[in-house]
Amino acid sequence: MMRRALSVLLSILAWPLLVAAQEITFDARVDRNTFEVGSSIRLTITLTNAQGSFSNPDLGGLTVVQGPFESSSFNYVHGRMSSTVSRTYVITATRPGSYTIGPASARVGGGTLQTQPITVKVEKGTGATSDRLLNEGQQRDRDLFVTISLSKSKVHVGEQVVATYTLFSRYPNLELSKYDLPALNGFWAEEIDQGETTWEDQLRTVNGLQYRVAVLKKQLLFPQRAGTLKIEPLRITCVVNRSFFNRGSQVEAMSNATELQVLPLPPNAPAGMQGAVGTFTFSGALDRDQLRADEALELILTVNGSGNLKLIEAPALDLPPDVERYDPKINDRIGISGSGMSGSRSFTYLLIPRHAGELVLGPFELSYFDAEADAYRTVQAGPFTVQVAPGNGGGQAQLSRPSKADVEVLDTDIRFLRTGDLDLRPAGHHLLGSWAWWSGMTAPVLAFVLFAMWRRREDRLAADPAGRRRREADKVARRRFKDAHDALQRDAREPFYTAMNKALHGYFADRYGLGAAELNAAALERALGERPDAAALARQATDLIAACDMARYAPLEVKSRQAMYEEAITLVQRLERP
Amino acid sequence: MRTIALALCLFPGVAPAMDRTTADTLIGRATVAYTQGDHAGALALFDSVHQHWRSAGLAYAIGNCHFKLDHVPEAIVYYERALLLEPGAEDVKANLELARQRTMDRVNELPAFRLGGTWERWIGGRDVDQWARRALWVWSLAFIIAALALLLRGGLRTAGLALAAGSAVFSLVAVGLAARRLRAVEHPAAGIVMQPRVDVRSEPREAATTLFMLHSGTKVSLGTERSGWVEVTLANGNVGWMPAAALQAI
Repeated sequence: MMRRALSVLLSILAWPLLVAAQEITFDARVDRNTFEVGSSIRLTITLTNAQGSFSNPDLGGLTVVQGPFESSSFNYVHGRMSSTVSRTYVITATRPGSYTIGPASARVGGGTLQTQPITVKVEKGTGATSDRLLNEGQQRDRDLFVTISLSKSKVHVGEQVVATYTLFSRYPNLELSKYDLPALNGFWAEEIDQGETTWEDQLRTVNGLQYRVAVLKKQLLFPQRAGTLKIEPLRITCVVNRSFFNRGSQVEAMSNATELQVLPLPPNAPAGMQGAVGTFTFSGALDRDQLRADEALELILTVNGSGNLKLIEAPALDLPPDVERYDPKINDRIGISGSGMSGSRSFTYLLIPRHAGELVLGPFELSYFDAEADAYRTVQAGPFTVQVAPGNGGGQAQLSRPSKADVEVLDTDIRFLRTGDLDLRPAGHHLLGSWAWWSGMTAPVLAFVLFAMWRRREDRLAADPAGRRRREADKVARRRFKDAHDALQRDAREPFYTAMNKALHGYFADRYGLGAAELNAAALERALGERPDAAALARQATDLIAACDMARYAPLEVKSRQAMYEEAITLVQRLERP
Repeated sequence: MRTIALALCLFPGVAPAMDRTTADTLIGRATVAYTQGDHAGALALFDSVHQHWRSAGLAYAIGNCHFKLDHVPEAIVYYERALLLEPGAEDVKANLELARQRTMDRVNELPAFRLGGTWERWIGGRDVDQWARRALWVWSLAFIIAALALLLRGGLRTAGLALAAGSAVFSLVAVGLAARRLRAVEHPAAGIVMQPRVDVRSEPREAATTLFMLHSGTKVSLGTERSGWVEVTLANGNVGWMPAAALQAI
């Protein structure tokens, strides 16, 4: 100020001299005529050897980044004086193109001086202004905007993406009053803790404008389904330019909406694949390798690496059936940072072997999708060998057995057809009432009636001893004279008498031990014993034998053959009856 | 035993139109078709056998085919027929229960004395001829016991004759049961509603008051028939008349 006043004073004093001595110039100059979007040039307007004020030029769409800075100099060399007043602007362009800086005018004395217009060419930048997000943000609001940027634009399901919400501000004073985070549909999100939100130390230049930058929030996103997942814009409300004297004004800003292409996992997934995506190692350990049956054993399986660790489920254990197992306890040591989720997740299984012997656990497998390599990988832990000694009866491990689960009925359906013989019967025919049934029912009745009749006769005979003896004698007689009876029937004379003779002799020989030579009436009477009719019977017998013999050898028949036969039968019957 | 029974029941001179070998072949083909999911084909084959031969297993198979083809009332008819031929059959009862779950009417049955499965099977007989066979055997046994008793004397004879008389009485009861079974099979006392919806009326004519409505698959007891109308009784005791055409006797 002081200096400026001095220079004005000196100029006034030296005026006649100056006018006479020096030429007056007024010009505008840029340091270069061609520059890139984002960089800046200096525009200097200089008035030499004159006093006066000059107006600002029309910048024709260019933006002043800094300035104007004014300077003046006054020289007195060898009696010659010169003075210079200059004004410098630092200007930039946000878009490429050709710009014309209009003339600046200065009033000197009674006249007006004008500078020449300057044409500058702005080329498309290659540097800091290439970020589409920043360009778009700047176009939304030159002074305050927010961007949402994703670390990747194309991922697989389950692959992690870092979303960064960044605030760009040109306001010197800004208070964030509220912001609404967009709803994340289709993502599983994990906050990355970055402490208090602070301005970054470095200013960022976007298309030549300098911004203060603050990262509002960082999130780790795990897409849960394939397709194009959209993230809605973030809206913030700020109060700017608040000071002791000023209540400030409320400003709203929106971020961009962004999209993420999510690819499904390839189809050829291995059996143990449970959705783990990242890069992992798998290890296991046992708390001991020797124990007794019914004692508890801890198996710890640990997944190490980076990826969606928190979404990894406990691997299914394929254990021998006599090893009891309990649901695993999950222990996480997972760190979340800007580079993603990494650390370890371990599953502690409590196992109780119920029988002694060598027990082989595992190998256990974990399958995951390696997004970098675009391939599934399977890692193994184990196998582990445990020596199980026989338990000591009751055992210390008094753990109750897990209750059995009921069989889950998934659906109902009718039972299947009968297999095997269907036991077919002819239609319309039944056993009851059939011919076979009636005969089957009648047959036992008939059989029984016949049996009962026979039985009744037997009983009646058993009740009469005399009649029975008579019948037996008759039977004996008829048996003896069977041949004779046959001959009689055939009306054969010779055989009849031969048979009669033979039967009579045979009877007496068998019954009384009398041979043909001893057979006479006296001997027979003796043999008959005490019977009252012994003499009569003996005489009748000998008469009959004699008649037979005579008829046999002589053609003379005293009686008919029938009568002779009847007489022989009667004789034997009488002899047989006591 | 079975062949004897079969020989006994085969009426001489009344050979069925389809011989047993053909029937077995058709059943084998039908079973394969059913297993492969061709239920309509299986049904046609089973039906062709059913025209000449009867068996609980066959009726059950036809019921299964109808069920798979979603013909619920027909399936119920055949399951009920199978149960008539073989009372208490577990598989038939299970499938009938599933088929009944698909019908619309729920009729609360009057509380009745229900027999257990084993007793039901014994009293019902394995097939229709079971009681007729039992009657035959016990009848023969009664006379054999009586004949043996005639050979004995005194108290033993009396006891034997009493046993024989008891057996004979049992046999006559068995004949009665056999006759009852036969009547149940030949003249079924129950029917299944086949039409999707039937009005049951108070009198056997179209204009009579509608007492209630029945839907397909419901089982009713059949009463007297009169000019195309049947008197039906529901399991809960309700009585009404409905057109005979809407019913299929079991």
